[in-house]
Amino acid sequence: MLLIRAIVRPEKKDELLAALTTAGFPAATVVDVVGRGKQKGIRMGDLVYDEIPKAMVLVAIHDEEKDRIVDVVMKTARTGESGTFGDGKIFVSPIEDVYTISRGGRGL
Amino acid sequence: MKEIMAVVRMNRTGATKKALIEAGVAGFTAVRVLGRGRPLEDPAVIQEHKKQLLAMAADDVTDPETTEQQVTSFLDGTRLFPRRLFTVLAHDEDVPRIVEAITGASSTGDWVDDGAIFVLPVVDAIRVRTGESGEAAIW
Repeated sequence: MLLIRAIVRPEKKDELLAALTTAGFPAATVVDVVGRGKQKGIRMGDLVYDEIPKAMVLVAIHDEEKDRIVDVVMKTARTGESGTFGDGKIFVSPIEDVYTISRGGRGL
Repeated sequence: MKEIMAVVRMNRTGATKKALIEAGVAGFTAVRVLGRGRPLEDPAVIQEHKKQLLAMAADDVTDPETTEQQVTSFLDGTRLFPRRLFTVLAHDEDVPRIVEAITGASSTGDWVDDGAIFVLPVVDAIRVRTGESGEAAIW
């Protein structure tokens, strides 16, 4: 099992969640985060904005669904023709175990 | 070393904290998050809950259509609900105990939506104060 952490523009969050539902990933956790990327934030003259608001979407998936979910996030979260700085990142980490609390059992 | 990420109901935060202390885990990080789970599938159950929610929402001020829309959005899996995300670092052998403690404290037993626990491997941990790393840095 894998944990997908997708950091996307906050205004793309709703669109992404809708796209995830249609693609068969109804479960998700959303955190409001701030961060900066390789561009060291946004610089406007002397002003530097390096705590840019983003939305982090966490989804737990089976290994074989990885390519599909990455594709969904790429398609919905990218802005413009070929993407723009600040569109975000996707991190994939392994999960060793998942427990569903209401069911009291193991597994997704 | 393992990282335990647990999404629990907001009103179970206190119980979860207490359970963690009883399990011998004092340190954790908690974040406010929004989440949704697997949607309800059984139409009979959905109908029953919809009826309950509509009865609770009845008032003279709100437009019935708006109420109906809101109630539907509660049950069709599109709405995000507030949850608390606990992150706990643990030694390998403590993981089952901690998972059991969180499950016991945060399950309500009456419905879905009680949250989930993810266990992830951690490569290294470093305590900032002393600079010690690995297992010694956890607690």
